[in-house]
Amino acid sequence: MKRERSKKYQRLQKLRIVSQLVFFVLFFFLFIKTHYGGADYLTITVERYFHFDPLLALTATIGARLFFAAFWLSLITLLFTLIFGRVVCGWICPFGAVHQFFSFLFKKTRWLKPKRDDGLSLAPKYLILIIILVASLFAVNLVGYLDPLSFLYRSFAVYFTPFLNMAFSETASLAYSLGLESLGQTLGQALGNLALNNFFQNALVIGLLFLAAVALNAWKERFWCRYLCPAGALLGLFSRFNVFKLKIDPEKCINCHLCSIQCETNARPFPIGEWRSSECIYCETCAAICPTAAITFPLRWQAEKIQGINLSRRKILLTSLTTLLVAPIFKITPHRQRAYPALIRPPGALPEEKFLDKCIKCGECLKVCPTNGLQPALTEAGPEGLWTPVLVPRIGYCEYYCSLCSQVCPTGAIKELTIEEKTTVKIGTAFVNKNRCLPYALGEQCIVCEEHCPVSPKAIQLIKVETLTPEGKVITNLAPFVNVNDCIGCGICENKCVVVDEPAIRVSSIGEQRSEKNRLLLQVNAQSDSQE
Amino acid sequence: MERREFIKELVIGGVAIGLSPHLLAQSSYPELAVVTGESPEKITRGAVELLGGMKRFIGRGDKVIIKPNIGWDRTPDMAACTNPEIVKTVVTLALEAGAREVIVLDHTINQPKRCYIRSGIQAAAQSAGARVLLPDDQRLKKVNIKGDWLKEWEVFVDFLEADKIINLPATKVHSLSRVTLGMKNWLGAVGGSRNQLHQRIDEAMVDLAAFFKPAITILDSYRILFRNGPQGGRISDTKLMKTVVAGTDQVAIDAYGATFFDFKPQDLRFLQLASTRGLGKLDLEKVKIEKRTV
Repeated sequence: MKRERSKKYQRLQKLRIVSQLVFFVLFFFLFIKTHYGGADYLTITVERYFHFDPLLALTATIGARLFFAAFWLSLITLLFTLIFGRVVCGWICPFGAVHQFFSFLFKKTRWLKPKRDDGLSLAPKYLILIIILVASLFAVNLVGYLDPLSFLYRSFAVYFTPFLNMAFSETASLAYSLGLESLGQTLGQALGNLALNNFFQNALVIGLLFLAAVALNAWKERFWCRYLCPAGALLGLFSRFNVFKLKIDPEKCINCHLCSIQCETNARPFPIGEWRSSECIYCETCAAICPTAAITFPLRWQAEKIQGINLSRRKILLTSLTTLLVAPIFKITPHRQRAYPALIRPPGALPEEKFLDKCIKCGECLKVCPTNGLQPALTEAGPEGLWTPVLVPRIGYCEYYCSLCSQVCPTGAIKELTIEEKTTVKIGTAFVNKNRCLPYALGEQCIVCEEHCPVSPKAIQLIKVETLTPEGKVITNLAPFVNVNDCIGCGICENKCVVVDEPAIRVSSIGEQRSEKNRLLLQVNAQSDSQE
Repeated sequence: MERREFIKELVIGGVAIGLSPHLLAQSSYPELAVVTGESPEKITRGAVELLGGMKRFIGRGDKVIIKPNIGWDRTPDMAACTNPEIVKTVVTLALEAGAREVIVLDHTINQPKRCYIRSGIQAAAQSAGARVLLPDDQRLKKVNIKGDWLKEWEVFVDFLEADKIINLPATKVHSLSRVTLGMKNWLGAVGGSRNQLHQRIDEAMVDLAAFFKPAITILDSYRILFRNGPQGGRISDTKLMKTVVAGTDQVAIDAYGATFFDFKPQDLRFLQLASTRGLGKLDLEKVKIEKRTV
């Protein structure tokens, strides 16, 4: 028999690699473009690809009991998958591309030696999907932790951006030390223009998880896609009816097992009749690698009995029940009862319950924040709020004329605001700690917080304060007094306070206007209303 | 050098000296030029002209750095930063005077790129041919300021490397130093923990002014900020004065600028300190001022 690989499928395989590259570059382009580029309003919808994710659409709709309009785009993905199978996973998903690239790398370096079907169950991702969906029925929003786009974007925002920043500035300092003045300067200017954020709390965990997800490819090819990805699982459920069905020509097949060994997602093209359509991502590897060109994907409309993943009813039930028991634990937290001082949400954030229902922890807002002030929460927001955005004024304050975070939020957890609207949103209130404030505690002069207060008239007014020294001298200085009615909680005062370790003026969430409960003075509303 | 060439240059040089007004008649220029008018460009040009033109301050081939106030993420009508048209005009004047390169730089308080863009200064200065540089921490260098209070402090090397410095401040009130004009503007040329400088703000301003020694100071008082300084926030916090004050005496300029807010220069501590240090004239009566409207 003539032994020749299929030219057509080799070409298709190459086309698939090009497609992955294009979509990854697009992802990266939009990622880099998610910053202050010089205009108040972003000109491209940098967060658009999230809207094509049916998993996010589904959980956001179930969780928030509300359909966010932009998610209609995910219907395109569903319809496409229904007809063509999981092409999106194989050809478009940027995280899939990352995994495929590293799988390729690990195979080249021989760290990964693909074997025959190891019998390892592909079911976990379906169980993860069930957990996420059942949890969202109870309005516990877990999707962001394992949704591939959220996972990838968050990892890039929190781990890769500072990494890039370091690379730039280290290269610049190297250039300076080598006397390459103009190169150093060019890099420095580029850094200033890209506004790459430098510091993130929890970067260790988020970064290591990302590296782990990548490293797992050394164990099993496209590990994430095979065993973990809930979005892939959802698409798998919808792909059973697709029109391109794998076919092995029994005349040509030499039973070499190569296709099944090399299959990226263990969709088992061989033996004949064992192909699992829900696992196939149409990477075309099997058809391209087959030494006798026995494998094709002909167009076939008629329904066939198709091999699926063995998900016993018992397993599904057990997982659902477990989730049912576990999900409410997330809600047994005082965070729901009482506001937390450090939980300062970005301007435009919905009331906390609704915010948690919608936030997918994708990190778009963390990436776009021009001062690096938005940080992934650790404990500030309770167990449900891990990695949701909080403003940490000590790291960065909220820029007065900036509403970028509200513009890039893909789910509307942060309501889109115009600049004019944003400047009136109160996200917290500043309080002076007189025990640490220079004029109050030390009798030293300092008006730094007042100088920086961006509202007019200033929320920080100056009063004359007398400080008695041990020598019996009375020193009079100007000292800050916060007018809580005018304070919007932007945190620039805390950020610029001279007492850097534990600032003498600190913003807490009290008075945030999104909350009905976390209010301070009764007349705050009445006054601000009459001002307008 | 060829003999013929030498003679040629000798002749040209001689003619140049003969025609050059400022070598012979330096004393005839006012110490302060105060020009008022509708156009920011014209009053800036007018003020520099009264002082004898930019060539008096900038030599051919000089590397010039201009220090406007770009401190805040505010539009020009908020008067928190220097007027962009005035920055543009000064860039043009410096280039016309033969500057090899003009750099515009400020260490902003809000996020740098936002300030550079919203103030309109980046676009304006670039359109006139300046190199607009965002502040870059790696270009900070610790130097001896030799001040009475400030000894060592981080300064952007761009100021140290320049042949000539032009100070181009805005006119605003400030709750500690009362006003922020030319001398306060130097806080934007340095790095380090600038907020600590407020503990002895007057001393810091004087020490920095003595260190930087601008070739000329051009005070933008086109729109001044009389309330909620130093960043304002409402147009009602500002007032149109449509004036530019220029000169080489840092004390006299700030003393004049203070009068826009009806402050007596003698009441401002930093001006007293500066005049005691011999940085310039505090008493405006003794300053030769020429006013003009264009």
